[in-house]
Amino acid sequence: MSGYTARRFSRRGMMLVVPLTAAAVVATACSAPGADQPSSGATSGSVSTQLGSEQITLEMYAETGFPLAKALTEEFTKQYPNVRFNVREDQFTVIVENAPRVLASDSAPDIIRLPTMVDLVKDGLLKNLDPYFTAYGWEKFPASQLVQLRVAEGGRPRGSGSLYGMGLGYSVTGVFYNKQLAQKVGMTQPPATVAEFEELLAKAKAAQVQPIMQFNKNTAGINFPHQALQNQFGDPAQIADWIFQKPGATFDTPAALKATQTIQRWAQAGYFPKDANAIDYTAMNGQFQQGGGLFMFNGDWESANLDKAMAGNVGFFLFPGEAPGAKHVAMSAPNTFGVGAKAKHPDAAAFFLNWVHTNDKAREICVKVGGSSPGGPPDLTLPPVTEGTVLAETLRAAAQLGAENGAVDFTANATGAIFASAITPEMQKLVAGQQNPEGYVKAVQAEYEKELSR
Amino acid sequence: MIPPAVRARRTRWARTARWSGWLYVLPALLFYAVFVLRPLALTFQYSLYHWNGIGVARWAGLQNYVTVFTDSDLLRIIGNAFVLIVFFSFIPVGLGLLVATVVRRIAGGPFGTVVRTVLFLPQVIPLVAAGIAWSWLLSSTGLVNQVLRGVGLGGLARAWLGEFDTALPAVGVIGAWVLLGLCTILLVTGMSKIDPALYEAARIDGAGPVREFLAVTLPGLRQEIGVCLTVTVIAALASFDIVYISTGGGPGLQTTVPGLEIYRLAFAQRQVGLASALGVVLMALVLLCVLPIQRLTREDRG
Amino acid sequence: MKLSRREQLTGRLFLVALVLVTLLPFVSMLSAALQPRGSVPAGLAWPSDPQWGNFVDAFTVANMSALLRSSLLIVAGVVPVSVLVATMAGFGLGHLRVPGGRFVFLLFLLGLTLPFEAVITPIYYQVRDLGLLNTRWAIILPLIGLYMPFAVFWMRAHFVNVPQEIADAARVDGSTTWQLFWRVQVPLARPAIASLTILLFLWTWNQFLLAIVLVDDPGKRTMAGALGAFQGQWGTDQVLLCAGSLLILTPVLVVFLVFQRHFIKALLQGSVKG
Repeated sequence: MSGYTARRFSRRGMMLVVPLTAAAVVATACSAPGADQPSSGATSGSVSTQLGSEQITLEMYAETGFPLAKALTEEFTKQYPNVRFNVREDQFTVIVENAPRVLASDSAPDIIRLPTMVDLVKDGLLKNLDPYFTAYGWEKFPASQLVQLRVAEGGRPRGSGSLYGMGLGYSVTGVFYNKQLAQKVGMTQPPATVAEFEELLAKAKAAQVQPIMQFNKNTAGINFPHQALQNQFGDPAQIADWIFQKPGATFDTPAALKATQTIQRWAQAGYFPKDANAIDYTAMNGQFQQGGGLFMFNGDWESANLDKAMAGNVGFFLFPGEAPGAKHVAMSAPNTFGVGAKAKHPDAAAFFLNWVHTNDKAREICVKVGGSSPGGPPDLTLPPVTEGTVLAETLRAAAQLGAENGAVDFTANATGAIFASAITPEMQKLVAGQQNPEGYVKAVQAEYEKELSR
Repeated sequence: MIPPAVRARRTRWARTARWSGWLYVLPALLFYAVFVLRPLALTFQYSLYHWNGIGVARWAGLQNYVTVFTDSDLLRIIGNAFVLIVFFSFIPVGLGLLVATVVRRIAGGPFGTVVRTVLFLPQVIPLVAAGIAWSWLLSSTGLVNQVLRGVGLGGLARAWLGEFDTALPAVGVIGAWVLLGLCTILLVTGMSKIDPALYEAARIDGAGPVREFLAVTLPGLRQEIGVCLTVTVIAALASFDIVYISTGGGPGLQTTVPGLEIYRLAFAQRQVGLASALGVVLMALVLLCVLPIQRLTREDRG
Repeated sequence: MKLSRREQLTGRLFLVALVLVTLLPFVSMLSAALQPRGSVPAGLAWPSDPQWGNFVDAFTVANMSALLRSSLLIVAGVVPVSVLVATMAGFGLGHLRVPGGRFVFLLFLLGLTLPFEAVITPIYYQVRDLGLLNTRWAIILPLIGLYMPFAVFWMRAHFVNVPQEIADAARVDGSTTWQLFWRVQVPLARPAIASLTILLFLWTWNQFLLAIVLVDDPGKRTMAGALGAFQGQWGTDQVLLCAGSLLILTPVLVVFLVFQRHFIKALLQGSVKG
């Protein structure tokens, strides 16, 4: 064995190499990085609503485990055989991480499932859809449907400004429950107040039924119940302002604190699975379907799956308010898809998005496969669904929420990294007893301010 | 005796060959300059800017470095890498010494070959695969918990990679599994080179197995131990694949390591400057850890 | 050396236990891979009805044949060029001792401990500016550069130790430098070149970071990168994930078992010198 390893870093050599490297640094440092990058994502002048007959392949980036996107593309290709799709799928966490990089590359997808759009808009990575809005007459859609998809110039605030995405279905969230287990713990009807809901949790725990099946690995699934509580404890407009990055909005509110304290109490009482931090989204669904919990906070995008896996044994309710008869407030968001600024076929992508909202067959697929309301102009009827299914229940809930005007976006969508950098790690700490409610609320707000200050 | 004419030709030949020899070095240098030195210089440059990777960068001076050294999350992430050294380096080297002693003493012939081959398997497969295999093994329903329940220790069963107290050690165990074989076999090879007479002498002096190990084996293996430590410390500090696959850095920031954070900062959060500063710091840390090890093993016996 | 029976026995038992622990992750994956699709496997349990078909499913789903082809193309792009270029540089630095070679060599050494993460960001932008993102070149070209410190170091170490007399003999014959290199030195360097080839093959095949950053299409990645994509997509289907992972592992395992002696030797030397 020789002394090569030892000879590697002779001091004399380092003295030579270091200044040389430094010189190279100085040389390259003359121009700031990115200075000569052409800005992308500007609104292109003319758009076409014609699909044409040219043979094209649309690149799509969708989420694994949700057959809706693929089902729609297949139907579309059936109707327009000259358009094929190349669908890449990843888990949601992976998309969140990849989206900026993928969109910035030259092979940016035409249609992409969007995690959160503000930063992407700020960086000019998404196509401004305003020209299509006008060309296709989307002003006929209820304005509230697309409000979350609007971003003001420069990325802030959201909720007004230009349109940057469309929904493949418009979802509503709430609580799914296992009917057999409900019977076992003596739940005869959905709870009418938060207090009643907590009583049921205690009853379930006493009956040795896992009260809530919720995931918290990779992304914080316990943010669902957290925001469900937060929605009830204060003015939802405050939450919406925070999510839309309106000036002066804060997460450090009594409502958020109370919600966090409640979550902490639930965690300590064992209402969440002991290994929630190791259960990911799919595992949660699998376990809930197999009777692993009484409640599951989730959205109507799972309705079709649940109807299939536990037919007749699953129900749904909107999370109740504090007082009986209170107006419902629930997270509700489009299943957002956007068009890449560097997309090769933006016109065809927009054509597809319009088709999803207006074509009868597509709307039916949205409901039957996606489980969510298809959106679109109000004069188009909802496709019929079988009564007695949880799908029918969630659609009714969506209509009710719409009538009560109680939809808010997800707090997780507030900024590009708030979910990954603050909510997820802090929530994991909170339920593991490593963080207190005050600290949680402050940490989320601190990350929010950090990102906004960039 | 070489005739003078030949010698003259040789000198002339040698001189031109020495210069034309650059033609042999240039291609390698070119690849290296374009894909390592230039990026390296750019990393330094980026680290002095605030840049989202798309728009125009803003000069930041040393601000990104200040952030790296003051942000409690980033400090903790760097700390995690050092915790991993215990698992990636100390355990494989310590256990490797024990295993190597046993292997050297009793495992000859086909049995020895099988042992060596199997111990080497984890070194050959992609780290990604190791991460996937162990994620499954350590999951709530995995084999580890199954065994614990089987022997009546069900109370200890847990999601090893998902809980705050166990996640980082669990990631460490994966690394130890990967690196044990390499260390063991390096040490076995080293032991075979120790002069048997030294053992003989120790025995005559009445040394027991422990003293024999301390007086003969350990000094004789100084170089190999240095190599093991160098390789494994770099593996620990620059770890990425295993963590990315098995925990994604969670729960909380419990298992986030600098490599993963650089990737996240640069490509998901688009803070290229901060990511680059962390990259420079990581590079410096690796050198800071590896250079003393080199020094320790410097005076070799050969 | 005489050993007591007891030491023999405990020693053997210890090693057998160690071998089992090393193999356990593979066995546990196999048992999960053979469970029925859609089930949630629990621990290590041999299924009553092993679903070997899962491997067929995984083969189709993962598009294995395309992955194999892609990895082979990348290896074919990286390894021969790296080995050739590094051998030439090692010859120039170690044997011809070019003027200023010492400095160049130190420059190469600078890269020996470099974590790839530290340069991945600029490499990304550089590859993007070259218009090579999402092509195999995005992995091939940077990898050749990143391998240079080790590969040059390795080959130089070999050439430094080749006795000068061999070259002298060739010079008397009147051969050119290239002939000396190609006809005399390269054949002599065969063992060093073989080990380097094995190491670079393995490192390329298992390269993960470059693959996930620079190439989005798993069909254009290395095996490890493709496995990462497979996990990203099917990570929650434990049965399929295990089946797919085992499949993706197989080629490198087979190659290892066939060439195991060379592998172990190369890896040992590689770590000692690297």
